[in-house]
Amino acid sequence: MNLQELEQLCACAGVSGCENAVREAIIALLPKEATHTIDPLGNLIVRKTGTAAGKNTVMLCAHMDEVGLIVTEITEEGYLSFAHVGGIERRGYLGKQVLAGKRQVPGVIGLKPVHLLEGDEKENIPPEDSLRIDVGAESREAAAALVQPGERVVFAPGLTCFGDGYIKARALDDRIGCLILIELLRQALPYDMTAVFSTNEETGAGAAQAAAFALAPAYAIVVETTTAADLPGVEGTQRVCSLGGGAVVPFMDRGTVYPWDLYETAQTLAAAHGIPMQTKTKIAGGNDARSITTARGGIPTITVSVPCRGLHSPAVVMQQKDAEAVLQLVRALWGELTQK
Amino acid sequence: MRQMLFDLCGATGVTGLEREAARLAAEYLAPLCDAVRVDPLGSVLGSKAGEGAHILLEAHLDQIGLVVTGAEDGGFLRAAPCGGVDRRLLCGQEVTVHGTEDFFGVIPASAPHLAEKDSEKALPATALLIDTGLTRAEAERKAPAGSRVRFRTPPVALGEHRVTAPALDDRAGICALLRCMELLQGQRHAPVTVLFAVQEETGGAGAQAAAYGLQPAQALVVDVSFAQAPGVPATLAQGKLGGGVMVGFAPVLDQGMSERLCALAEQSDIAFTREIMGGRSYTDADKIQTTGSGVPCALLSIPLRNMHSAVETLDLRDVEATAQLLAAYIIEKGAAA
Repeated sequence: MNLQELEQLCACAGVSGCENAVREAIIALLPKEATHTIDPLGNLIVRKTGTAAGKNTVMLCAHMDEVGLIVTEITEEGYLSFAHVGGIERRGYLGKQVLAGKRQVPGVIGLKPVHLLEGDEKENIPPEDSLRIDVGAESREAAAALVQPGERVVFAPGLTCFGDGYIKARALDDRIGCLILIELLRQALPYDMTAVFSTNEETGAGAAQAAAFALAPAYAIVVETTTAADLPGVEGTQRVCSLGGGAVVPFMDRGTVYPWDLYETAQTLAAAHGIPMQTKTKIAGGNDARSITTARGGIPTITVSVPCRGLHSPAVVMQQKDAEAVLQLVRALWGELTQK
Repeated sequence: MRQMLFDLCGATGVTGLEREAARLAAEYLAPLCDAVRVDPLGSVLGSKAGEGAHILLEAHLDQIGLVVTGAEDGGFLRAAPCGGVDRRLLCGQEVTVHGTEDFFGVIPASAPHLAEKDSEKALPATALLIDTGLTRAEAERKAPAGSRVRFRTPPVALGEHRVTAPALDDRAGICALLRCMELLQGQRHAPVTVLFAVQEETGGAGAQAAAYGLQPAQALVVDVSFAQAPGVPATLAQGKLGGGVMVGFAPVLDQGMSERLCALAEQSDIAFTREIMGGRSYTDADKIQTTGSGVPCALLSIPLRNMHSAVETLDLRDVEATAQLLAAYIIEKGAAA
């Protein structure tokens, strides 16, 4: 896992519908033997020829977009009003720095100071329509020269490595999945490989469905991140999965009921290759698998995820060795399904 | 001035652990004073001779943060607020833990997929955790209980005049005093002692102890105060970013000094507003005025948004206005002597 490349991918602003910078960065990292096309919805489709064609086309998929904010209005005082794009952790952006619009203008999301709060205000998170982004503009005109309604806003912090092999960054969901696919495409391949870097996953709009229609694969593997709630005070199944527990393969989430035979295949392959694997102990989350599964009359799809703490917040945390387990398991599953 | 302020905000000074901020502030202060010393509680004092009655200039060194109270399985630290921390802002906050060594940590944000109701609530004070990425034993060794924790957000410029950083409360005050001392160089002025006090955020012990030994004729305290902001109307916040220095009026403050400061500001064309408080000022002025046989105090405040957060925001022009007014007052006192 090349951490510098991960940092580069996470630094790209790519809130849903504005994935251009991410797509450019991925293209720059592809091996020269790979060919790519961009479909009408902005999905990046990459193909690499292997030693043989392989029996089946297996669509590998990771999404390029990230959750963030969208500017809805500039107020008379020069503040930006905003709405959420994707399922954001509402508490995550309070009191944090952001980068607004195409020019990546630094701004902050502040709150009424703690000293001035009364009663319940101390305990409740104010609704987002009462919050504003302050970019230092002193009038509507000054702000409008920096950013326009409809432009996106990302969280500012970059990537930091800490502790024993832990990584903290903004858009690990799903830039880590993108990097895993890039790494796979760089390997010597026994069969032809098709990888989709999709748009608009976080909005649930499912641009991946269009890519699946066009590619008509026999199977699909979604490479993702998923929520780990392995914190002190969270017990049993509520923990969902754990950092350091290996690749996460769910049998079901809130978007997809996965084919049981594919789930079993993942377990068998993980055991055979000694790859750490875990499942999700709570039916939670959802991803592009829901869009791909229903494309073209049905495409059996499986998801392999990197467990992450603080998903959809400015500070997503993962462990490097889990990403390595995901890479190994995806490679094994891809080989198996290609020849199934 | 921006660079000096960014440097000062970058130094750690969580209440009780002001050493790094004290050292840096003392370095800036030394060339502007006759002598600089550190008192028994860790406050920095710089003196400069002059004509007339002795004036104390004060700003506080410390900043809010967290304090480690223990460790948990999985390498999480438990923490408690150190000073008035807003628990609504802590999810996903990056921090530096100042243990046996300094290291990175992050306050976990639970995922919205799981806890839709939780995401409407501030983190409870009893549930403050820091993810260290270490084992429990390592976390305990590197961050024994009592270790201080600071927000790790970098200082950033917002447009031409505004800046955002943690610890602007009250490094902006320190910055204003340093700038004032620059303005006094080569001028006839009253004798001054500059006090950068520890432990304001936990009640003002540093200022109280230091002022006792100085017995000044008057004190001018510089702190931050509330500025209007989104969701913060003028009824709650009398300051305005870019509106100039706020001159405090309160029962605990010396009315004559406050009025003189306003007159001087008008006379010298320094932007200012009045800040009216009905009782105490909730700054170190409250402690200084009752030390020894009593010290008449004035309070100058720099308007600040998002106080006690990692994105405190101010306008540099207001810091300059504060320094200008302080210098004008001290020069006037020296001329009268």
